[in-house]
Amino acid sequence: MSRRTLEGDLVRLRAREESDLEFVYRWINDWETIKYLGQRYPRSRAFERQWLTSGDPAYGNAAFIAETLADARPIGWLGLHGATPENRCADLGIAIGEHDFLGGGYGTDAMRTICRFGFDMMNLNRIQLTVYDWNPRAIRCYEKVGFRHEGVIRDGIFKAGRWNNLVLMGLLRGELQ
Amino acid sequence: MTEVLSGPETSSPFEGRLVRLRAREPEDEPLLHRWFNDPEVTEYLAIRYPLSHHGEREFIEKTSDVSYQTASFAIETLEGTMIGGCGLENASPENRRSTLGIAIGDKAHWDGGYGTDAMRVLCRVGFEMLNLHRIELEVYDGNERARHVYEKVGFRLEATRRQAVYKHGRYLDVHLMGLLEGELRLD
Repeated sequence: MSRRTLEGDLVRLRAREESDLEFVYRWINDWETIKYLGQRYPRSRAFERQWLTSGDPAYGNAAFIAETLADARPIGWLGLHGATPENRCADLGIAIGEHDFLGGGYGTDAMRTICRFGFDMMNLNRIQLTVYDWNPRAIRCYEKVGFRHEGVIRDGIFKAGRWNNLVLMGLLRGELQ
Repeated sequence: MTEVLSGPETSSPFEGRLVRLRAREPEDEPLLHRWFNDPEVTEYLAIRYPLSHHGEREFIEKTSDVSYQTASFAIETLEGTMIGGCGLENASPENRRSTLGIAIGDKAHWDGGYGTDAMRVLCRVGFEMLNLHRIELEVYDGNERARHVYEKVGFRLEATRRQAVYKHGRYLDVHLMGLLEGELRLD
């Protein structure tokens, strides 16, 4: 194998650890991060600790922490969820919680790494995600990695006083760039 | 002068021109078991494996108390013959959004307008009784009859998940359709 399957050019994906608690607790309660997600309620340390220790990455729930290759600093979390063996399709979720690492290619590198993992190690056929239609930075990142626009879910989420459209995007085996 | 207050002058929201929706009963089990083991009925459904009588009984037990989260119904003709089932599942109260599923299991009642009528009644229940804002559903590529019905009652094609489902030896595209408050067409 030419390279480690969970390493990109800037980030490495690894299992969640209880020692990540202060990072994920800060990220999941930071409006600047969760405004781009479906998340809406405050989360306790107890809830996040439970999530961090709820099981290692596995087929139906492959969740990771992204850390920098340079100094192993946790910068966000991501995962492939809900895969079923018959359809070989999973939902992708990703968030970069450390604002200093937005716009530097870390998110794109993490996306490529997890999609490669999904196809090469989990043997998926399809990876899908939804993103708010007012989040062009994320949409451009997903396009760059090879995701195609598959449609728009009208008024899919009500949050912060308004209805939001969701763009549905999909990536098939062989389309990863 | 006293004014007599009265409720709405409408008929039951669970009744349409041809069908009525009612809660599921244990007695429904034999018909459900027959229908959902019939490959013609399940061709375009998410059902993949054979279903046991035990599994059907459990399904009925789990769904017979109609609630916001599990608004599941038997479809019967106005004369009282059960012809299928339908439901609104996993409603999210913040997003006021729910997923619709429907199947007419009795093939003698395909193509007679029963499915269309049941769709209208179910969507009305979703908007008028559950206070939903959005109803969505998935339809497999190739299921033209169903898609036609959904379009007729007002659903719009919103997205196509390419190769999202594997069945019958091939990957199928899955179309996502959505209906918002005010878009339901009753005629």
